Amino acid sequence: MSDQPRLPTGRRSVLAALGSGAAALGSGCLRRARNLTGWRSTQPVELQIKTLPADADPYALRLGRRVAAWFREAGIEVDVLPMAEQELVRQCLLRSEFDLFVMRLPETFRDPDALTTLLHSRFADAPGWQNPFSYTDLDADATIERQRRTSGEQRREALADLQRTIARSQPFTMLTVPDDVRAARTDDDTNWRAADLTDPMDYLQLERGDGQLRVVGTDRRATTNLNPLSVEFRRSGVLTGLLYDPLARPLDGEYTPWLASSIEFATDEAPTAQVTLREDVRWHDGESVTADDVVFTYDLLADTTLGDDESAAVPSPEFRGRRTLVDAVSVVDDRRVALSFVDVDEDVARRALTAPILPEHVWRDRTDPAAIGGIPVGTVTEALVTNNIPPVGSGPFEFVRNTPRERLLLERVDDHFSTREGAALPDWIADSTLDALSVRVVGSDVAAVEAVTDGEAHVTGTAVGASTVPRIGRAEGTELLVRRSGRPYVLGYNTGRPHLSNPRFRHTLARLIDGAHLGEDVLDGYARPAVGPLQGTPWYPDDLAWDDGNPVVPFLGENGELNTEAARESFREAGYQYDDETLVGGAT
Amino acid sequence: MSLLTVLSNVVAVVLLLHLVSLGTLRWLSGAGVRRGSLRENVRAVGPTAAVLGALLLANGTVRDVGVQLSWLIGINVTGAIHAIEGGFVADLQSFAAPPLTAYFSFVYVFGYVFLLTFPIVLYVLHDDPRPLSATLVAYALNYGIGLLCYVLFVAYGPRNFMPGAVESLLFANWPEVQALTSQVNENTNVFPSLHTSLSATVALLAARYRSTAPGWLPIAAVGAASVALATMYLGIHWLTDVLAGFLLAAFSVGVGARFAERRHGEDEPESRERLHGTAGGAVEQFRR
Repeated sequence: MSDQPRLPTGRRSVLAALGSGAAALGSGCLRRARNLTGWRSTQPVELQIKTLPADADPYALRLGRRVAAWFREAGIEVDVLPMAEQELVRQCLLRSEFDLFVMRLPETFRDPDALTTLLHSRFADAPGWQNPFSYTDLDADATIERQRRTSGEQRREALADLQRTIARSQPFTMLTVPDDVRAARTDDDTNWRAADLTDPMDYLQLERGDGQLRVVGTDRRATTNLNPLSVEFRRSGVLTGLLYDPLARPLDGEYTPWLASSIEFATDEAPTAQVTLREDVRWHDGESVTADDVVFTYDLLADTTLGDDESAAVPSPEFRGRRTLVDAVSVVDDRRVALSFVDVDEDVARRALTAPILPEHVWRDRTDPAAIGGIPVGTVTEALVTNNIPPVGSGPFEFVRNTPRERLLLERVDDHFSTREGAALPDWIADSTLDALSVRVVGSDVAAVEAVTDGEAHVTGTAVGASTVPRIGRAEGTELLVRRSGRPYVLGYNTGRPHLSNPRFRHTLARLIDGAHLGEDVLDGYARPAVGPLQGTPWYPDDLAWDDGNPVVPFLGENGELNTEAARESFREAGYQYDDETLVGGAT
Repeated sequence: MSLLTVLSNVVAVVLLLHLVSLGTLRWLSGAGVRRGSLRENVRAVGPTAAVLGALLLANGTVRDVGVQLSWLIGINVTGAIHAIEGGFVADLQSFAAPPLTAYFSFVYVFGYVFLLTFPIVLYVLHDDPRPLSATLVAYALNYGIGLLCYVLFVAYGPRNFMPGAVESLLFANWPEVQALTSQVNENTNVFPSLHTSLSATVALLAARYRSTAPGWLPIAAVGAASVALATMYLGIHWLTDVLAGFLLAAFSVGVGARFAERRHGEDEPESRERLHGTAGGAVEQFRR
């Protein structure tokens, strides 16, 4: 199943037969040829896995190769293709040019409502992390809509149903949930264990004597692009989260008014909220943050062209899920905004308040189609593709300078509202001692660990592999931080491709994968297997717990050893055949 | 150890190698340097050197552009290369041992830089301008064609494609070097291996102009073979890259020598006839 269209073998051989003799010109023969071309020959099943090279991610490629090896044992022709992260996102998430990918799900999908954009058929055609699998299942759609409108036990049940559905039909296979391994300096008595550094606010929680934090990582994208709406350049949103403020942030597990001083919810038929902004809040360029900026932002997120209703909208893929919760936003006065939500539960609606607020005076000019050398290219707007350097936000940190592909420096904003008295925020925010945050890019996880053990950096900012653990353990003045992460490695299927469109085929593919073995063998035990994306949250049903293997798609073998005969039988039951030892399907 | 430390280490070690080699070769051949040859040589090959210099400078400044362009128009051949040669590099690494790793790491970083710079010094002090001219032209061709290939083909090396099976021996044992190599190259630029092609170029030129400095040929040959092996042993290049590197070297030396002899005169008249067939001629030249 390569990207090139291919002449079906049947037709090709008929053509060859036609060309081989003059007798072929006889009308009887032509009739026969017409009859023959109606039949399609069976074709080997060929798949390609796209993923990251080892320099960019310590495990992705090894996981991809291990999965490919299992698939090959079952008679499928598979190859693995590594590419840079930016390119991988472009090909898989923007252009749907893939059969399978191995990537980590972003942190956002720990929130159950985020699964709406990941799995609802409405987003099957949309770019970015919006249903990249083109998965369409009416039952799944119904449960997704149900969890939006309900709360408590009902919502839990809806989400459990959703996870059971996708565990069976497999739009993606959960490979393993890795632990985040970091190297950190011990010499400054930093309270590394107080925060897990996956949320921007975690950085404010760090207590460092000199106020400096030097982070080293392998992801160079943030040094060339700081656009919060960019799809290809965002991974965790930590840096843009420090530069930009949302109306509310999840702090200590609660949505807490942030840029807003108060948010009053009322629910009539659908929830509404009265948002009052804090007094005297300024953008990093000195302009005031006003209610107009808030309304502008929500309008921009819904349609970055800010066009009328007649032309096609170009929404921001990164924040589309949150934006779809909002029905209308309007200015009440200079500091007050009224939001009305669509028919959702109030708790779900709150998530819409976590989108970053952007300055109208900077982004107003970015609503035209993006152009190269003055020539517009397609319909995508400048807002989605600008590198946004320098960024003008209102966040607790501001941009100082960057060296593309090498470094980035952010500094604390003096007198940010979060440090003022009476801000009604947790004490650790006002007391934060961090003054400057620098990011340095190196070539691989080993180099990143080395930068920490040499004292050039304080902590690793991107995942480092388990193979670096002994190196961290040996080094003086360096400690090992291991934390459970919420970002699983997944094998994503493009359900728009032949064979992969068949849920039974995907279900059987998933049974060729031993998640427990991947964690032990590839991640050296720094991982745990899981079935559904909400594993480790209160929204995860007990019956999906991984006790003795995967309860829904159990591995067709034992301890990583595939039972080839069982795998073949399973594919035969799904309507496939074997030609010699190769899996063949009806036609491609 | 920062980038600067690594860089100064490389400069110091390579300088030392230069001094030792110059001394040894002088002692072996017993000939002194002809006064004035330096100035004449510089004048003779000035334009060629300027072209090479411009190319190197361009390489440094447009590297990022090249990478961007490469993702836009290049073909990702990593899977294809692996399909051709399979686990050759992994098999090669099964012989890995700490002394070998140390030797090949040294050769890959210090030996390579020495191998590239020493012929320039050697030939610039010699009274025949042809070896110097041929070297510069061959270098320029290596870089030029190499850059073009890097734009056309996106490929990751075995250490990036087969982690687990192939270890990144150089960077795992000596992570500081990655700071240096990532300054001069991208991890998607592996086809062809410029380490191999430039080292092989030096060895082929040493063979062709062996009368210039007879002691140099064995050093260059061993050095080039070691560099080619090192690129694979360390998990950086595929066998395919190395073979393509040899081809590129053969082509570059063929053209470089021909250019030098056209421009600076031809001593051996019988070879002129051989130069008529281009591809055959290029191969013929190495046989001598």
